[in-house]
Amino acid sequence: MFLGLDVGGTFTDGVVVADGKIVSMVKTPTTKENLLQCILTVVDKMVEDTGSKAFERIALSTTIVTNAIVEGNIDQVGLCIMSGPGMNLNDILPVAPYILSGYIDHRGREMAQPNKEEVLSACRHFSSCDVFVVSGKFAVRNPCFESAVTDWIQEQVSPMHISAGGKVSGSLNFLRRTNSAYYNGAVWRHFNAFATAVEEALKMRGIYSPVFVLKADGGTLPLSVARNYPVEAIFTGPAASTIGIMGMSGDAAVSGISLDIGGTTTDIALWQKGRPILAKEGAAVAGHVTGVQGFRLKSVGIGGDSLVFWENHVLKVGPMRHGPAMAAGGPKPTVTDAMVAAGFIDFGDRALAIKAMKQLALQGQSPEEMASQVVDKAVNGICQAIADLLDEQAAEPLYHVEEIVYETKFVLENIIGVGGGAAGLVPLVAKKLGISYTLPENGRVANAFGAAVARPTIDITLRADTAEGYYTVPELGIKNRLPRGKFSLQNTYELAEKHLAELAQKNGIFIGETQIIQSEEFNMVRGFTTVGKIMTCRLQVKPGVLQYGKEELC
Amino acid sequence: MLNAQRLGLVFFPAFDWAISPTHPEREERLLYTRDQIVEEGLLDMPAIREYKPKIAKIQDIERVHVGVPDIASLITDAHLVSAGGAIAAADAVMKKEVQRAFALVRPPGHHAMRIVHGTRGFCTINMEAIMIEYLRKSYGIGKVAIVDTDVHHGDGTQDIFYHDPDTLFISFHQDGRTLYPGTGFTNEMGSPNALGTTLNIPLPPGTTDRGLHEVLDHLIMPILGDFKPDIIINSAGQDNHYSDPLANMAITAQGYARLADTLKADIAVLEGGYSIEDALPYVNVGIVLAMAGMDYSKVIEPNIADCPSQSSSVTHYIKDVIKERQDMWGRKEKLQREAIMKHGEFWQTERSIYYDDEGINEQQKERVRLCPHCSGYVIIETKARSSLHYKTAYIGMIPQKACPACLKAAYDVVHTAKKQGNYQHYMVQNKQEDRLDKL
Repeated sequence: MFLGLDVGGTFTDGVVVADGKIVSMVKTPTTKENLLQCILTVVDKMVEDTGSKAFERIALSTTIVTNAIVEGNIDQVGLCIMSGPGMNLNDILPVAPYILSGYIDHRGREMAQPNKEEVLSACRHFSSCDVFVVSGKFAVRNPCFESAVTDWIQEQVSPMHISAGGKVSGSLNFLRRTNSAYYNGAVWRHFNAFATAVEEALKMRGIYSPVFVLKADGGTLPLSVARNYPVEAIFTGPAASTIGIMGMSGDAAVSGISLDIGGTTTDIALWQKGRPILAKEGAAVAGHVTGVQGFRLKSVGIGGDSLVFWENHVLKVGPMRHGPAMAAGGPKPTVTDAMVAAGFIDFGDRALAIKAMKQLALQGQSPEEMASQVVDKAVNGICQAIADLLDEQAAEPLYHVEEIVYETKFVLENIIGVGGGAAGLVPLVAKKLGISYTLPENGRVANAFGAAVARPTIDITLRADTAEGYYTVPELGIKNRLPRGKFSLQNTYELAEKHLAELAQKNGIFIGETQIIQSEEFNMVRGFTTVGKIMTCRLQVKPGVLQYGKEELC
Repeated sequence: MLNAQRLGLVFFPAFDWAISPTHPEREERLLYTRDQIVEEGLLDMPAIREYKPKIAKIQDIERVHVGVPDIASLITDAHLVSAGGAIAAADAVMKKEVQRAFALVRPPGHHAMRIVHGTRGFCTINMEAIMIEYLRKSYGIGKVAIVDTDVHHGDGTQDIFYHDPDTLFISFHQDGRTLYPGTGFTNEMGSPNALGTTLNIPLPPGTTDRGLHEVLDHLIMPILGDFKPDIIINSAGQDNHYSDPLANMAITAQGYARLADTLKADIAVLEGGYSIEDALPYVNVGIVLAMAGMDYSKVIEPNIADCPSQSSSVTHYIKDVIKERQDMWGRKEKLQREAIMKHGEFWQTERSIYYDDEGINEQQKERVRLCPHCSGYVIIETKARSSLHYKTAYIGMIPQKACPACLKAAYDVVHTAKKQGNYQHYMVQNKQEDRLDKL
């Protein structure tokens, strides 16, 4: 049995899955001030429901990290960067950095050495900080300087935690890596306190199941590993429902979009051949871009509980929520009231829904006319967001001639709808777009289901430079000599597989199917002679749905 | 639009295109530039918006070039995307989505002339020229200034606009006596109807940032102020860099960034630059930051100590060039009157053009009517020989603002030549009606 739990902005959902079927479902209001409370409420109800404490796994998708950042519940961080030549980052990073000497160039060559005296000054400058972050430009091409500076700081002040940019994100983009590492450090203490509280509370209840945390890319991490990478736990809600959809749609290969219509927002994801498309860039946190990988998603502030109102003679839907629908005893007219009044769904008290539409209706307008105007507005809003997302996808820059000339256009074949508001709105959106739709059973809890069944994942980036004779894996902090003799792209894949397996074992993750998410090969020519190759390969344990009985957890 | 972003960046490194595996124009050329741009986080800056290139149409290309026997058989898909990249940059600026744009694209184009038999100087079609004619066709742009900052003379761009008084072509470059293509001297000033709107500034090897900025501040900027173009285009070659393997100048990333900052081109299009590891990553970051109005003062090459300083003889030489060019610009109306008087109804020239990438020798005879009502129709007779082919064509060219007499005469002349039948192909490039007629 897998227990999955998704802490949303308004509600927390939990499910227990056995043999791929949901055997228990719980919904409770989210206790924002103390997330542990609603988590334990759900767990207790599930134990009561199933009569068992022997869950094979408990997986959490929570807003703990996002909330901490939004509410400023974060630690002061001693941010040390080796920025070398380039863009001036001083006013761009979330906090003022301490700039250290030391520069690695694009090939991973050491162009200027870091200076220990400067690092000691940085430690004095940040004497009030318990957490440090070290980030160097092109550290992903050579982790030596980040490691050296980390060691010096450790030696000098032994802080509670040091995050290194290259270990938090293995991809190029110094700015994003630095931001990721900064937030990783800033929420480290808060997240670890939460993790300890969760573990202790479960232990007190006699529950000894391993706890996993969902990531924005739809994978999971053991809580023990997540303790060092808390920033991975931002924006997991949409990822949870996306994996849930994957699990619920079974073998049907979706090519199109999924809509998760909740109380206040609709999350739109793009699907190709049964798999959600990953975003090219990481998520943004509090206005700062990070390297945290997620799915290509778009959120629009329209959901079942979205407030409907007039503003300067213009009808508005959302993005705010003033409680549930009037049909369910809420205070103000909502989209759900319009759906009920127009007869699209059966929910709560229809008389109250009609009353809500009467409140809104203009002179001479019947409640039903008003209702259908509101429904049109909501459907058009969602369709516009879908069109925008498709436009954004089509505008993604491509760097190869082949990709542009023989570009495969994204085909919108069908819609999968999940979430509380899907049953009423998805058929209307599909009709407007002229495509088919499916509403999976239990789609209301796709988020918690996704958390329950999401496979543990990790990824690494291996870059081999045969002219330099080295390869690097930043996530592992290694720079090693390449074996003698010819080294091909195939050898690069094999070496990446080996190191991924190593990291998986270290993190206690079962390594099943792997997937190359990015691969490049360039010949290096100097003068008119080929002197080597640069090959890059990003390999991950394929995110997706745990195959029951076929995969072990650890 | 008030909150338009400052810079549109069309980045197209064509990672799957090369002239040949070890050619300077190979897949690897913009690899390290991509690494640097991505690593800096430039594409995440709110002032910068990345655009995907479009795919140029054959019609966009034929508005500039006449390919023999046709342009489609002489180019690759990469050329359509690179030209489409320049067009995407132009659209972004004209639609006011961004204040200026940089098409960081390859293949390059500034050695491609009007008549195309193949590839020369790594170029087959001219991206800037195609973009400019697209701007004129789509947005009614009139006066255009091109500033070519590649180390090599932009002979293709010069050829295309040599008879066009509405296009000011300024090229500074390493002196043609010391570098490919061996042209770009001060006496190449445009044909009589467009005299002065071609302005070459040959600079001595060893010119540094100091010399370059003297030229910019005291010569190029005042002339641009005089000409009052509707739009400024920068042919942004990066091979004046001190580390470039194919040339001998001494410009730094700071020099290039400050150039972009001073020039404030509406659209820049990448040309050459073959120091792919030591120059391009830094020069491009510098140009992008400068064009986006951001701080570029920290963009300094790690090996800046290798940059030589400017000798006093070079400094003196540059002072003299500036003086001579200023004088010419001041006297250009007089020079033009004299040239028109001297040549009568037609201005003609004969030259041979070498296509170094394919070993083609072209002989070209060109005749322009010095029409008092328009810039005049052009007749080009071309014969190109290589080890594989012998191709000839007789071509008429009608400018966009041609007078009715020139429009008719061009067709008549080509029809007459066809009756004589001495050439394989007969074509009229009719810019007024935006089509290429094969007779």
